[in-house]
Amino acid sequence: MSARTGQWETRLGLGVRREFNRYWSIKRQTILTPILETYLYISVFGAALGSRVGNLEGFDYIVFILPGLVMMSFALNAFENNASSLFQQRFMRAIDDQLASPLHNLELLGAYALGGLGRGAIIGGTVLLTASFLVDLPIADPLLLVWCFFAIGGFFALFGVLMGVIADTFDQISLYRSFILQPLIFIGGVFYSTSLLPEPFQTASQFNPVFYMINAVRHGFLGTSDVDPYLSLGIVSAGVVVLFGIVYWIFKTGYKLRF
Amino acid sequence: MDALRITDLKKKYRKGPEALKGVDLTVKKGEFFGLLGPNGAGKSTLIHCVTGLAVPTSGEIKVFGKDSQKEYQAARQAVGLSPQEVMSLDWFLNVEETLDYHGGYYGMPRKQRQRRVDELLKSFSLEDKRKASVRALSGGMRRRLVIARALMHKPKMLILDEPTAGVDVELRLELWHYMKRVNKQGTTILLTTHYIEEAEQLASRVALINHGEIVDIGTVAELKKKHKKKTLEDVYLAVVGREELARTAKADAETDPGAGEGKGFG
Repeated sequence: MSARTGQWETRLGLGVRREFNRYWSIKRQTILTPILETYLYISVFGAALGSRVGNLEGFDYIVFILPGLVMMSFALNAFENNASSLFQQRFMRAIDDQLASPLHNLELLGAYALGGLGRGAIIGGTVLLTASFLVDLPIADPLLLVWCFFAIGGFFALFGVLMGVIADTFDQISLYRSFILQPLIFIGGVFYSTSLLPEPFQTASQFNPVFYMINAVRHGFLGTSDVDPYLSLGIVSAGVVVLFGIVYWIFKTGYKLRF
Repeated sequence: MDALRITDLKKKYRKGPEALKGVDLTVKKGEFFGLLGPNGAGKSTLIHCVTGLAVPTSGEIKVFGKDSQKEYQAARQAVGLSPQEVMSLDWFLNVEETLDYHGGYYGMPRKQRQRRVDELLKSFSLEDKRKASVRALSGGMRRRLVIARALMHKPKMLILDEPTAGVDVELRLELWHYMKRVNKQGTTILLTTHYIEEAEQLASRVALINHGEIVDIGTVAELKKKHKKKTLEDVYLAVVGREELARTAKADAETDPGAGEGKGFG
């Protein structure tokens, strides 16, 4: 489906490269700032408060929160990249060059989605790699983590594409991030186990989709979670399929992309 | 085979007026075709429908025999679009990348792209701006770049949407010269303009469009003869109307101080 432009190069690959070059050209804002932000969380919650919290489900507090922090930085950046990039391209009408080209709708959608997934992976991977020098973080189920990468990353990357298309102002994108996604991630159990919460908050947590994502990632690293990780990822994967269907329909019909 | 065949094309915007009200139009292969009309007549909408930037409400568009909806990849492959708005360049790219990515989207292999980029940068006097960000370019340079980009994949049909709007007289003449050369080399050109002089100088056939309808079509000589007028400007006045002319001239004066120069009505 993705036509070749050379021996190894595909049009999809070219679209992903453009996206990578875009965020690399402003790396202080797109790469370094989120990494620094995550380290501040690790320092404050892990190093400063962690010693007072002690162990949580048999792990040092810093080790317990690290999987959630990695997931948070990965997911938020995959979302933010795609939402802001696509919105900016629409706003400036720079996307017209791609829309008027023979790029297949799937190639165009894939280029944006994979671009954000890549940025999330760079940031999440850097945090994980450097943190592994500071703490002894186990990897209990590597295959589950690979599934988490594609399911959770795919979900947020596609959600970012969706918001990038339907948002009418930059303000709306920042609203989704700050007032919806970030709170959902925070109350989804990044910094605590929901089993510690009193009712009705414990039950309420189960209506938060991010709760399942954090628990799946935590199970992949630590081998422990509040819910069945496979059930969690099954639900998230189903969400990815639904989201993909919606976004593909948007690209196919040109809703808010074409005049 | 016709380069472009449009049948009963209608376009109604979701929250707007009916911009095209059943347009029928044929552009022959190798032709330099002018689409002349005042601001808001439907010129850009028509071009957007042809290039896939707008979704037609109804009707059929065939580009070199390929349906623009059902065979959109093949239809778009044949077209190069130079948009009216030069701010629509990707601000994260430099001049060379702008051309290179465009070529890639049209399936050109890397080495072929490199050669073509060199050719175009030379032709459009942008060689020393190769690594310059598009943000750093002047308006005239951006105009050159969007036209070069449209030509990057050697399209069979070049669509120029108001290519000389807002450019100085010198660049306008330079672009006219280039467009004529490209057409002589066999590329079909569809030019939209609201400068009568431009259509008269360049186009072998002209369609007059107003309020989303083609109101007349023919060679400049045919139109003059049909309406018994001495100039295309008089034909335009008779067909489109003086009020529209005054409205366009006023809009030009507000947005484009250089547009009043020369014989054009702007």
